[in-house]
Order: sequence, then structure tokens, then C-alpha cells
Amino acid sequence: MIRTLSLSADLGAPAVIAACALAALGVGLLAIELFRAHRPRGVSVRVALSGALAALGLLAAVLRPVSVVSTGTLVGPKVVVLADASRSIDLPGLDGTRRQSLERALAELQKRGNEVRLSLYSFGIGPAEPVAPLAVGVSPTFRVKPVLGSDLAAALESVARAADERPAAIVVLSDGRLDRPGEVAPGDATRAALGQLAIPVHTVGLAEAAPRDASIRRVLAAGAAVAHQPFSLRIEIGCAGGLSCGDIPVIARELRDQGQPVMLASGVAHVVEGKATVELSMTVERAGARILEISIQPPEGDEIPENNRRFVSIDVGRDRVRVLHVAGRPTYDVRALRMWLKSDASVDVVAFFILRTHDSQVQASSDELALIPFPVDELFTEQLPTFDAVVLQDFNAKPYGLDKHLKNLARYVKDGGGLIMVGGQGSFIGGHYADTALADVLPVELDKGRQASASDLAWFSPHLTEAGRSAPVLAPLRALLGDELPDMPGANILGDARPGATVLMTHPVRRTPNGNPMPILALGESGSGRTMALAIDGSHRLLFSDFAARDAGRAHGAFWDAMLGWLMRDPRFEPAVIDVKGGCIAGEDTTLVLRPLSGQKGEATLRVVRLGSGDVVRERRTSLDGSGKPVELAAGTLDAGGYSAVVEIGAGAGKGPTTRRDFACEKGGDEWADSRPDVARLQAIAAATGGKYVRAEAAGSLPLPPATQVAAERQVAPLLPAWAWAIGAAMLLGAHWVVRRLGGLV
Amino acid sequence: MKQSFRGPLQVSTRRRALATLGGLALVAATPRARAFGEEGAFNPRVLITGNARWEGVRTSAPARWSAELMIRTSAPARQTPGTVRADDPLLLAEPFAVWGAEGDVPPLTDREVSGLRRFIALGGVLLVDDFAPEDGSFGRASRRELQRVVPEGSPIPIGPENVVFKSFYLIRRAVGRVEGPPKLQAVIRGGVPQIIYSAHDLTGALARGASGTHPLQVTPGGEPQREMAVRLAVNVAMYVLCSTYKDDVVHESFLKRRHSGEP
Repeated sequence: MIRTLSLSADLGAPAVIAACALAALGVGLLAIELFRAHRPRGVSVRVALSGALAALGLLAAVLRPVSVVSTGTLVGPKVVVLADASRSIDLPGLDGTRRQSLERALAELQKRGNEVRLSLYSFGIGPAEPVAPLAVGVSPTFRVKPVLGSDLAAALESVARAADERPAAIVVLSDGRLDRPGEVAPGDATRAALGQLAIPVHTVGLAEAAPRDASIRRVLAAGAAVAHQPFSLRIEIGCAGGLSCGDIPVIARELRDQGQPVMLASGVAHVVEGKATVELSMTVERAGARILEISIQPPEGDEIPENNRRFVSIDVGRDRVRVLHVAGRPTYDVRALRMWLKSDASVDVVAFFILRTHDSQVQASSDELALIPFPVDELFTEQLPTFDAVVLQDFNAKPYGLDKHLKNLARYVKDGGGLIMVGGQGSFIGGHYADTALADVLPVELDKGRQASASDLAWFSPHLTEAGRSAPVLAPLRALLGDELPDMPGANILGDARPGATVLMTHPVRRTPNGNPMPILALGESGSGRTMALAIDGSHRLLFSDFAARDAGRAHGAFWDAMLGWLMRDPRFEPAVIDVKGGCIAGEDTTLVLRPLSGQKGEATLRVVRLGSGDVVRERRTSLDGSGKPVELAAGTLDAGGYSAVVEIGAGAGKGPTTRRDFACEKGGDEWADSRPDVARLQAIAAATGGKYVRAEAAGSLPLPPATQVAAERQVAPLLPAWAWAIGAAMLLGAHWVVRRLGGLV
Repeated sequence: MKQSFRGPLQVSTRRRALATLGGLALVAATPRARAFGEEGAFNPRVLITGNARWEGVRTSAPARWSAELMIRTSAPARQTPGTVRADDPLLLAEPFAVWGAEGDVPPLTDREVSGLRRFIALGGVLLVDDFAPEDGSFGRASRRELQRVVPEGSPIPIGPENVVFKSFYLIRRAVGRVEGPPKLQAVIRGGVPQIIYSAHDLTGALARGASGTHPLQVTPGGEPQREMAVRLAVNVAMYVLCSTYKDDVVHESFLKRRHSGEP
């Protein structure tokens, strides 16, 4: 219960002010009068005292003070506790890990629970996330899933802008190794994040000493990485905690689907004052998301081995798609494809057409010929990795020496290259590709028998399969032609689609030895690469024919643009996009997000394959309803390394082309790259906002705002009745009159 | 300047004989009974306009053209090329045709203009061969009529720098039955020749009778000039089949050295 005095509630503020002013004026005039009257000192004092009392009496009669008795409870101020949820809190801290330090700090704060209302949030990426309230009487634990970020500024902004009750203070529990505020002027950045919210931000350090650690602190690409062109990786090495570092070897390798990583570059970092930078120049031949492994050889005594090796996903772009177009003989089909390749400014085509055979009688000396040798050995060995895709069109492998390079070509595909085999009498079985290494990467089986037929001469119109009607890769063609395709002058004879391949077009009559409709257009994946088999040599009829004239020949360009785009993993032709929610942390639950294109429906199978071993480590299934809504799939915990997530939509005849996303999984990622705590930053944040920095064990001593009384009942009673105040005032005025008369003042 | 020629080349291999016989075969294969891949083979179809008829000594030239192409190169070709009318939708079946005649021709009908316009718009190549270049009437008439088909295109001279002159053989000047001007003329669209004018009677130089004799004399160079005419015909065919292949960078430096006589 609290008792206080107040003024009568029936007077407004202006009346109170006017009364006080009049009383003060009266006293002032009395003082002037006494000063001019030159009366004896004793008289003046008595008159002044009686006058002042009379004025107060009059004032009290007007204001009539009341007694207020209120009862209620003390409510502690709201204090927001922002706990660092970044992966770095699992590094060594004050005593144990920084997470344990955080839990101790929470326990200390919990003891102040009767003074303040604690609201616990975690911060890492984006706005602060509320965490379950601290249970009374239970030692607090902090089991929030770690994230690969520590953005305190974003968390402060979200608290400052929240629509609910504003906090009276903020307590930050962190090691100070933050993404934001940065190292430069953290105080200013903190005030900017708080905006109009002028409250103290107290900081609690979870660690103060740096562990003995050599690490890869940062990997930066100097400019954009472009396939086939050298680019530099700038690698910053750090050495802390008194560890003695001299020259540290650094190597960069590229992870492949299967087999050992491929060495890209190496160097030595010369560590001076705990820091070193090394630039490694390298060339990556494949575009898209590539996973690089950067590693250092640390000195003896390194306490955190996990940050000596980083797995970095870099997006390798393309300047232009570099295509090797090899044709066994010039035909209208070759002409049409070449014209399209040359017309596309984004394609850099290197073409080799066989213009004469060993039997050709050119009837001229070589000086009179515009022919150059076909550099088959050079093209399919040293030059091969420089191409994004290879088109073999009506090209017989045997006569021109390609057969001895087929293994190399198959390896090129598995390493991420694209391959298109276009039909013709020199393609597939007719080109001696059956039972070769290259046949293994094609999306279709080839009959190996000696008596196997190479082609079927009957004209036909290809049928679109169920997958073909829904695959984004045929959408541009279907937008022009619908389901109608021009008649084709025969086809190469193919076997069944290989497991995992997708058949988009089939022959209307011919069957494979297993009784399935014979594939005409099939797409497949092999290792990191993609392959396409087109068993006709009449796609030029999409460009030049009476049929083609309906759409001015645009269908040919639409078809090949999509085919090459799919081969190059152009997102326009992918059935879905795969994301890794919040990144992947080794040992923590990983969630993959599947974002299918609208219209993609049926069962989706997602497989997570470990790069290097090729092992399928996870397989998840989900059902897509065609609405295009994202679907989250739990992939469980993964070890550190590179992975490929491959999704297949549909099954059986309706199975569409697959899509893939490579990603890296690290134990600590950027959060462990620099293991040193940053106490100075925490101190600067506290100082800039009027807060205080303390160590974790002293979190309970923070100067938090006092509690506020919240009234539940209020009783108001006059000190005296109004008539008593009036009589009192009259008596005091009378007394003053008497004193004046006695002092000779009228 | 007079073009010099080497002596005639004697070729009598089995393949040449077979191809020649094939080219002269009278039995016309039906369009849907060819070997796989022949649909995309070079087919020197003869374009017919108005009331014209394809007859005379030059009717053997297209088959000879195909035969020479198959003998000398890897390219497939139709052994029994046919004719196609300018107003026939079949004109759009393949991207090449030869329009040849002597003397003036009547104006193209609207349907013929439309057909040819679609043919050119799709990327077709038309060789216009004047059978009587000494007179030049057809050359003028064909230019007049094709101006209606491609109003925006005027023919310009093309010589050894153009891909037509280096698509297989390195040709220094154009010749046919007559020596004619050293250059061809062409309407260039999209950077490539689409209508090629020959004032050399190329078809006449290719004509050959059933007995293997040439019904038309080649002047003034005789058989060596005929050989050069055959090479030009082969180059036109290879240009049609390969487009600008020989303009690729990979060939450029090689061909420059060869043009300049360097090893």
C-alpha cells in the first residue's frame, strides 16, 4: 500500500496555476511593501511571516489537498535477452564451450527474474526469434539450432520495430564475432539499428581468450568465376591464441561426383602477425554450382581442426556456351543445326564437319582445297574440357579415330560436360557406339548384336510421351506446335531408356526388345553431366518444310534452344529448384526445400548423393499437387563434405527429367572461420547505448531498470473538509491583519 | 585476265562409275524409299515458273551435279533430282533450288512470288543460272522478277573472299559453260548469300549425255574450264549444306596461308 498527497481533483490545471501565481504575487507585493516602509526588523519579520501564512492558508483553501491511498504490485520492466544462436557459440568459451557460458549467463539473469521480465530471443539470421521462456527453478539450457550467421543488427531492428511493449533494456549474450555490427564503429551501427528506441544495450561476453587455432578465415573470388577462364581465389589465413605459424601450405581442389577431388591450385601462405593472404589462380571448366575444397596444413597444437578445411560452393558462370559441333557429313540437318548455333549470340560454336571420306576423289591437289585436317586427337583430349557441350551429329566413330577417345568423352560427360547425339546413318549403332564407354553415358540402350539394325527407314510422326507433355524442356516447342510434330524420314534404332533417363518422344510403331515404345528423344544424367539422344536426322524439318512455314521455322530454334538450355542446366528448363534451408551444418538437421514449377505433379523422389563416393546418403519422397508450392524435406544430419541433391518428378512412363543442386556441408562454416572472440566490439556496443559489458558469470550484476508499481485500488480522502480550510484561511488572514495594525501598517 | 586451267583429270573408279550410273538412272525412286539420311541430302531441284518445261540437253545436269558431289565429297546427294514449281508447297520441302533459263521469262504470278518469298524467308538458297549469258536476257528478267520477291535485296558481286568460293575448293574465279565475269552476284540476307546469280551457264557445263559425252562445248577453256565449273557447282552445294562453315575462325588462318601460297 502506498499513501501519497494530491490536490483536489475538481480543479483543472489552469486554475491551480492561477491560484499559485496569485499567492506568489501577494507574497511578493508584501515584501515590496515592507522594504519601502522601513519598519523595525522585528515588525517586518512578523508581518512577513503572518502574510506568508495567510497566503498559504488561502492557497490551501482553494486547492484543498487530498490523501491518496493506493494498493497494487511491483512489475519488473521488460528486458529483452538476445542470445547468440550462431554456430560460433560451440567454440571454446570461458569455461567449456561458449554455449555453456551462455547457459551460465542465462542462469544468472534468471536470478533477477523477480525484478525484471525477461524475454528470451535468439539471433543469427534475420529478425530475432523468440525462444521458450526460462523455466523457474530449472537450470536453463540453450538448445536452439545453430545457424550460419550472427546478425545482431537485424535482431535489434526487429526488437525496436516490434508492435508490442517496448523493452526497457536489452541484454546481448554473444562472443562478439558478429556479422553486423561490423568491426568498424559498432556503436554507431547499434544506435542506427535501435532507431528511436533509446535504451541501454548491455553485453555479456561468452569468451575472452582466443583458442590456439590456425584457420581459413575467408575465401573470396576476385571477380566472377567464369567457366574456361582463369580466376583467382583470395584466401585469408589466420593464426591466433599464441599458435606459432610460419608458412602454411594451401591447396584448392574441386569435388567430383565420383573419385578423388581434382587439384586446381596450390600455394603457401606466409603468416605475419597472425594473418596471411594467398591468391590462387585456377580454371574451372564446368559452369554451375561447383564445390571446391580449400585446405591448409596447420602447425602443431592447432585446437580446432574443423576450420582447416573449407567446402565452398561457387557459382561458375558462362561467358558463352562453348559447343563442339562434329558432323560426319554435311546434310540439311547439319546445316539447320549449325545455322541455329551460329545465330545464337550466347553460343560459341567450334565446328568440324567431315567433308571428304577416305574414298572421295577430289580431283585436285591439297593446295586447291579448302579442307583442313580433322584434329580428332587434340579435340578429344586436351581441348575437350574447354567445351560445355559436344554435339555428335551423324558421326561414325570408327573411320575418323574417335573410337579410341570414347572413354575420354564418357569421362568428360561424367565430370559435368554435356553430350548430344543426333541421329543419322553414322549415329548410335550405325556409328559403332554400341558396347563402348560412350554408350554407357547415353540415356538409351544400344543393341550390341552383330545383326542389330541401325535404322528404320519408314516415315513416322514422333509421339510425345506423358513426360514430354509436362517437361519444361519441350514447353517452348509445344507452345508453337502443340502436340503435332512433322513427319520424320526414318529413325535410328534404339533400345530401352536407361534407368533414370527420361523419354520425351517415342516411335509410334517400333518397340524395343523389351516391348516398350522405342525412344526417339531421351534425356539422361551421367555423373555431373547430361546427355541427350535424338534418334532422327530430320529436325531440320522444323526449320524448313511446309510444316515449318506455319510458324516461320521458329520451332527449330525453340526446340534446340531448350535442348541446349536443359543440357546446360538453364533454370528455365528445370522442373524444380532445390534450396538448402539456412545452409547445411554438419551434424545438424538439414532441410531441403523443393520448389517445383507450377504444373509439376506426381511423386517426387529426392536423393542426396555424396560427392566423391557417389553414395546415396538420403532418399525422400513427396507428392506434388501441381500447384507449385514449395515442399520442405528433412534430410537429417550430414557429415562435412560436398553433396548433390537430385530430384526426379513422376514415375514410370511419366517420369520427367531430373534436376540437381550441389551444396557444401561444413562443421562450422564462416562461423568457425575466425575463432577469436571480439570483446572490444561488445564493449563498444554497450558503451554506445549507455549499457554495460560483463563476463557471462557476472550477468546477474547488470544494472537493470527498477520495477514499476502497478495500482490495483486507489482511495482519495480530503485532509480536511472545505469549510475547515476556509475558516483556517480566514483566521490566518485575520491574524495577519492584527499583526499589521500592531506594526503600524494599515 | 584469262583464267588458266590444268589438264583434264581422268577418273574411272568403281565408285565414280556407280555414282554416275546412279545419276543417270532413269528409274525415279519414290520420295519415301530412300536410305536413312538421304532426306537431308543435297538435291539440286530445278525451279519451274510459268508455263516453262524442263527439257533439253541440260536435264542431265542436276544428276551430274549430285554425282560429282558424292564422288568428290562426303556429302550425300539425290541421284535423281526433280523439279519443283515456284507455287508448289513442295518448294518449302528443301532449302535449295536452281532457276535457269535462256531469254526473257514472263512475270511471276502472285502465287509464285508468294512461294518464293516464303522459301527465301525460311532461309532457302536459290541459284539463278543464265543458260544464255551471251544474251543476258534471262539474267535481267530474273533480277526483275526476284526484285518482287525480295524488294529489299539488290545483288552484289561475290568473289574469292566469299564462303561460296571456299566451301570445298579454293576457287579464284567463277566459270561455267562460258567464262563470264570472274565474280558471281548474290543477294545477301542475314550475312549469307541467299540468291546467287551466275552469268556462266553453270548447268550447261554440267550437262552430260547418256553416253558420257558433253552435249555443250565449254568456251574458251575447254575441259579444264568444265572441271572448274564442276568445282564451282560442288562449292555451291557445300555452301548450301554447310552454310558459313568455312568462314569459321578455325579455318580462317589455315585458308589465308593457303591462299597466299604459304606451306
